[in-house]
Amino acid sequence: MAAISKPPASFAITPHKLSICVLVQVYAPPSQISIPFPFSSVSHHNRLGVFLLSLTKACDGIFEPTLDELIAQLREVAGLLNHWLSDHLTRRLSSLASPDDLFNFGILGGSDANVMDDDQIMLDPNSIIGMFIRRCLLAFNQMSFEGICHLLTNIGTYCKESISGYPPYELSHLDDSTNDPNPSFEFENMEMDNFVYENVSEDFEESKMGIGRSPSQGHAPKDFPELVEDTSISPRPTLEHNDMNAEVYPGALSSSDMSKDMGALGGTFLYTSWQVQGYLSEQAVAIEKHGSSFPLNAFESILKKLQQLAPELHRVHYLRYLNSLYHDDYPGALENLHRYFDYSAGTEGVECVSPPSGCSSFGRYEIALLCLGMMHFHLGHPKQALEVLTEAVRVSQQYSDDTCLAYTLAAISNLLAEIGVSKTSGIIGSSCWPVAGIGTSLSVQQQLFVLLRRSLKRAESLKLKRLVASIHLEIAKYDIMHVQRPLLSFGPKASMKLRTHPASVYKELWSSSHLINEFGEESSLMTTDGAFCTAWLRSLKKPTASLIFAQENDTESCSDAFEFIAQPSSIPGSVLQLLGSSYLVRASSWEMYGSAPLARINALVFATCFADSSSLSDAALAYSKLIQHLAVYKGYKDAFAAMRIAEKKFMCVSRSRILLVKLQVLHECALHRGHLKLAQQFCDELGVLASCVSGVDMELKTEASLRHARTLLSANQYSQAAAVAHSLFCTCYKFNLQVKNATVLLLLAEIYKRSGNAVLGIPYALACISFCQSFNLDLLKASATLTLAELWLSLGSNHAKKALALLHSSFPVLLGHGGLELRSRAFITEAKCYLADPSFSVSDSPEMVLEPLRQASEELQLLEYNELAAEAFYLMAIVYNKLGQLDEREEAASSFRKHITAFENPEDMDDSVYGML
Amino acid sequence: MSSKETCRTELRAAVRHLSDRGLYSASKWAAEQLMGIEQDPSKHTPSHTRFQRGSSSIRRPHRRAAESSATPSGGVSYVSTPSMVGPEEYDYDPIDTDFYLLAKSYFDCREYRRAAHVLRDQTGKKAVFLRCYALYLAGEKRKEEEMIELEGPLGKSDALNRELVSLERELSTLRKNGTIDPFGLYIYGLVLKEKGNENLARSVLVESVNIYPWNWSAWSELQALCTTIEALNSLNINNHWMKDFFLASAYQELRMHNESLAKYEYLQGTFTFSNYIQAQIAKAQYNLREFEQVEVIFEELLRNDPYRIEDMDMYSNVLYAKECFSALSYLAHRVFLTDKYRPESCCIVGNYYSLKGQHEKSVMYFRRALKLNKNYLSAWTLMGHEYVEMKNTSAAVDAYRRAVDINPCDYRAWYGLGQAYEMMGMPFYALHYFKKSVFLQPNDSRLWIAMAQCFETEQLHMLEEAIKCYKRAVNCNDREAIALHQLAKLHCELGQTEEAAFYYKKDLERMEAEEREGPNMVEALMFLAQHCKTQKKFDEAEVYCTRLLDYTGPEKETAKSLLRGIRYARDVVEHFPP
Repeated sequence: MAAISKPPASFAITPHKLSICVLVQVYAPPSQISIPFPFSSVSHHNRLGVFLLSLTKACDGIFEPTLDELIAQLREVAGLLNHWLSDHLTRRLSSLASPDDLFNFGILGGSDANVMDDDQIMLDPNSIIGMFIRRCLLAFNQMSFEGICHLLTNIGTYCKESISGYPPYELSHLDDSTNDPNPSFEFENMEMDNFVYENVSEDFEESKMGIGRSPSQGHAPKDFPELVEDTSISPRPTLEHNDMNAEVYPGALSSSDMSKDMGALGGTFLYTSWQVQGYLSEQAVAIEKHGSSFPLNAFESILKKLQQLAPELHRVHYLRYLNSLYHDDYPGALENLHRYFDYSAGTEGVECVSPPSGCSSFGRYEIALLCLGMMHFHLGHPKQALEVLTEAVRVSQQYSDDTCLAYTLAAISNLLAEIGVSKTSGIIGSSCWPVAGIGTSLSVQQQLFVLLRRSLKRAESLKLKRLVASIHLEIAKYDIMHVQRPLLSFGPKASMKLRTHPASVYKELWSSSHLINEFGEESSLMTTDGAFCTAWLRSLKKPTASLIFAQENDTESCSDAFEFIAQPSSIPGSVLQLLGSSYLVRASSWEMYGSAPLARINALVFATCFADSSSLSDAALAYSKLIQHLAVYKGYKDAFAAMRIAEKKFMCVSRSRILLVKLQVLHECALHRGHLKLAQQFCDELGVLASCVSGVDMELKTEASLRHARTLLSANQYSQAAAVAHSLFCTCYKFNLQVKNATVLLLLAEIYKRSGNAVLGIPYALACISFCQSFNLDLLKASATLTLAELWLSLGSNHAKKALALLHSSFPVLLGHGGLELRSRAFITEAKCYLADPSFSVSDSPEMVLEPLRQASEELQLLEYNELAAEAFYLMAIVYNKLGQLDEREEAASSFRKHITAFENPEDMDDSVYGML
Repeated sequence: MSSKETCRTELRAAVRHLSDRGLYSASKWAAEQLMGIEQDPSKHTPSHTRFQRGSSSIRRPHRRAAESSATPSGGVSYVSTPSMVGPEEYDYDPIDTDFYLLAKSYFDCREYRRAAHVLRDQTGKKAVFLRCYALYLAGEKRKEEEMIELEGPLGKSDALNRELVSLERELSTLRKNGTIDPFGLYIYGLVLKEKGNENLARSVLVESVNIYPWNWSAWSELQALCTTIEALNSLNINNHWMKDFFLASAYQELRMHNESLAKYEYLQGTFTFSNYIQAQIAKAQYNLREFEQVEVIFEELLRNDPYRIEDMDMYSNVLYAKECFSALSYLAHRVFLTDKYRPESCCIVGNYYSLKGQHEKSVMYFRRALKLNKNYLSAWTLMGHEYVEMKNTSAAVDAYRRAVDINPCDYRAWYGLGQAYEMMGMPFYALHYFKKSVFLQPNDSRLWIAMAQCFETEQLHMLEEAIKCYKRAVNCNDREAIALHQLAKLHCELGQTEEAAFYYKKDLERMEAEEREGPNMVEALMFLAQHCKTQKKFDEAEVYCTRLLDYTGPEKETAKSLLRGIRYARDVVEHFPP
């Protein structure tokens, strides 16, 4: 509030700053020699310079380092000079005993700011270090006598701590633990901009990523890049190991933090206010990125302390809000959110952005509403979220805050997209709907569509690049998932043709990622600078010297060089995140349109390039896509191996995502092995997941019942399976899930095929094909064609030619993009077609039949699909029998026997896989 | 309750002990209570009293005998404190008297460090206590100074009382050795509380008051540590009449106003003339919103004690609520002449200007009050109210929020926050705050009505919820009688005519009982008349219509036509019975 608190001063002299001044004096003595006294070489001299530069800018944690820490860092930098320098430093500092000593203290001595010109030091007053010295001078000159007394006391404790402190051999050890509150998070490529919207928009991305949840197939590389990187870089395994633990186990850090807290209050000083702000922004990004794996209590205690030291820094409350939000602490989050906005009126932290005209006196409480809405959304209260966002729309319209309005609209559309279609009337009908002009007669999807276009237009006119990009992404997602009909013409006369538009999806995706170019040129922000310096200082602790002084060891400096370059990237983290998620959307779109390799490539691109800058839940999504791909294309062994890695990596974070993919893969596996009871169990568990906190997830619900129908089908309970599929079809129709409906139709065709009613199955297969055609679902269409061919074949041998023609027409897609099961089914059907064809004789061209059968049997063995494998071997045995090749026949027959017994006694198989549960 | 005589003798000794140790506010309190006891008719002359008090030390041996016999006889269950040989034990340590006298003089001149230095080698309990207390006060003084000096880069820095650590160390050893007296325990508790070790502080303070119950400061510290009723009940305190004072004030803090009122009224039996008790009763009545009684009490208080400033801000609030301009200005003038640099005085002046509609000036005085005591809760809240009046909502929000952060149980500030946000057109956001305030004060109809109105706003339009809130308001004795009328209207709006008729009838009854007239009356009559007619209760409808005829305006005509319709309908019913 302007009323009572005075604006916080930004710079105060502390003992740490005095030490820097002492070092600066050493660095730039008045003498004219190029290399001043204690230094041996130019590079040696420069190294201290870089060190000083970093010290003035670093924002490692919130507290200034103690003298011990400073000396430890000096040791890394100064090499041989270490003793001289630290002696000099402590001597100078401890010689200060009375206020007068401070006045006679070298740099600070002068009463005017022109000292740099006289004989004290040789520095350009406009250089960064020069500016620093000048600020110190100014602060010192403004100091009251009381202030000087306090400074003296503080210097006393500063020195005393170090003298009475710890034996030197423990120093480095202590240093590690004290500097460690957040070492695991490498803040590369992060934008440290203080703007509140930044966080909000990141919230968006965070939650939006949850959408591309459609079942996916992907291929994971055997080596997960991060793990390899971690081990190869770490020069001191123990330290790195620690870090990894810290990342994985929340609270692992707390002990060291606590120990720091214990002793620290005596003589701690905050960095300057922008350094602290920078630190807070860093932490905010880290929380959002790491979600619930971020150490809750440790960070909370830091924040509490910070709040004690700087009660007027209200941003701390925001951080506390974030912290409790990501640990699902509803009351805590609510309390802190309200507190933050009560104190700051939404304006703190936005200084760098010129406030929109005319709302200066009011404060910007609409942002509070926006954040509250996001909070409710995040915690799974869509109804409240919608109410709050509605209010946000109204308030920002009232105070003509267009920017906030744009974000709010985007948030609403995000919300609508996320809560899906399960609760149409409950939410929209309840309160007066904010978005004027849309009656409640429209379905949620249509509202969403209109909303998306509206917010896109608004964001474009306000030049909110990030928002535009994310809306494009959102639209792309919408286009993938929803079948459009011409929106503007309703009524009976309008054409009811349903279509999907892949081209428009890719257009949106392109225009979303196009924006990255504009950020390439944006200049880096001050806090990025600070983070960079922090990283540099931190890398001092690693035993090998860093690359700037790369005389020592070339090989070592190599990895350092990589690190060094990787640190400062001018592309803000949120943009990278956005870009990454565009790859995820691409992956899921390809998945749907049926190009497995492209889907896999996109997921891989995400996992390798963007995993660092994106949130953990995104990364989990990418991994789950890759795992699924492995399961479908490489068999279950690989998939389970990859899953184990992923589970370790995402321990307790976004468990549901990994859990989901695990259940899916396990279900498939159990189905293939004929373990029907288990399959049903997995399927039920999947259904339970559907009723999660954030409303009912229709996507998941339909998938669960689809799987249920398939399980019933495998158990040969045709009528029940058909009943389930029919009701599923009705549900999908009711909620406009047309894409899903295509799958259901195929399933129905499959059911009729298995039950022997081929005639009944054909119309379903044909309907599915026509659906797929208009929705551009290529792979699904191919598999529907395969089913159709099988149906024709089962109608009698006179249809074999027709079936074969159908099959061959979709062979390219089936073999190029299909999974193991689909491919082998295609092969077997082909062989069956040949065999059924009366004009085909086996003895003339045995390889025509044997080759596909061999292929099929190999792939099915990989997949452990016993039933189908048995069929393949059976056919093979028959063919060999015809050909008179008895040895081969015996071999095929024994394989057949093996598979058929395995199929009939699934319990005999190893349960190691299921042990994962 | 012990006899008045016992209380009197105990308090007399206590005043001496306490002031001898520099515990001035506790001794002031004890002396006030002493004077609050009804005088014996035999010793009624003021000169006699003075003599008696002045000569108390001379007549010590005699009184000790009287007391030791009096204490147990006062009540079986009351403390006979085995560790306390007698209050006189606390009077003198003859050996170090000279040192002590010097130290005490320094202490009285507020030269705390000097006082502590004089006593550096003294080991008597009294000397140890005074040394610790002086050190503590010196630390506090320095802390206050540092708070102003040390404005860190990001607002205020953490000023600490630097004596706490050494004091804690010394006092805990003393306690372990068993060579600590109740006053030392009090200081120890104070130090522990300051250091945040609340559990130990609580037990140490309990120990202190169990040995020496007359130290009101110790009781107040203990009370500040009991923020929940569970904590209060878990205390193991010996029975003593001081405990009643403690419980009364603790109940008040825990918002159990009726219990507290009962305790105080019971205490008033003995301490008939105690200003303190009167003021506390006024406080409880104020919280129960019995403004008339509060005013009476305060008028009497001011007659007896015209230069009193404590609690007068509450009186000014009452005057403000009753819009007594001249009385408020008189009060403001008087306290200002007495001591203008008391937060209470500034607050009273602020209230006065606020009543006058000069909100800028009012804010200035509230701000001065906050400079004098930045944790002065009601000033923050009142300043928030002023900012609301000035339409400076963000400043208001900030002020209220600070009040809430000082005491999260301040329902007025939560309510103010809600109001401010509602003013800004954010009713849904405001609901959070209204919920908080209603949670803290569930029996206040105004809060329920405010929340209901929030639900009712056109933006939210959640009428069911509004009805629920109004129902609560009706149950909480809604004085302004808004709730009944609103309930009827809302039910009417929702088409629930039966419920609407029920509430209109209730409202009507109430208006009749309170002899109020007005548009609400007409509305109720009109609705009821129509409702009864449609329900075919013609007699009732006729009654309402005839009552409507008393009013002028369009309603009269409507009533007439209704009457006609009723007569017609009745004819129809009579001629063609169903």
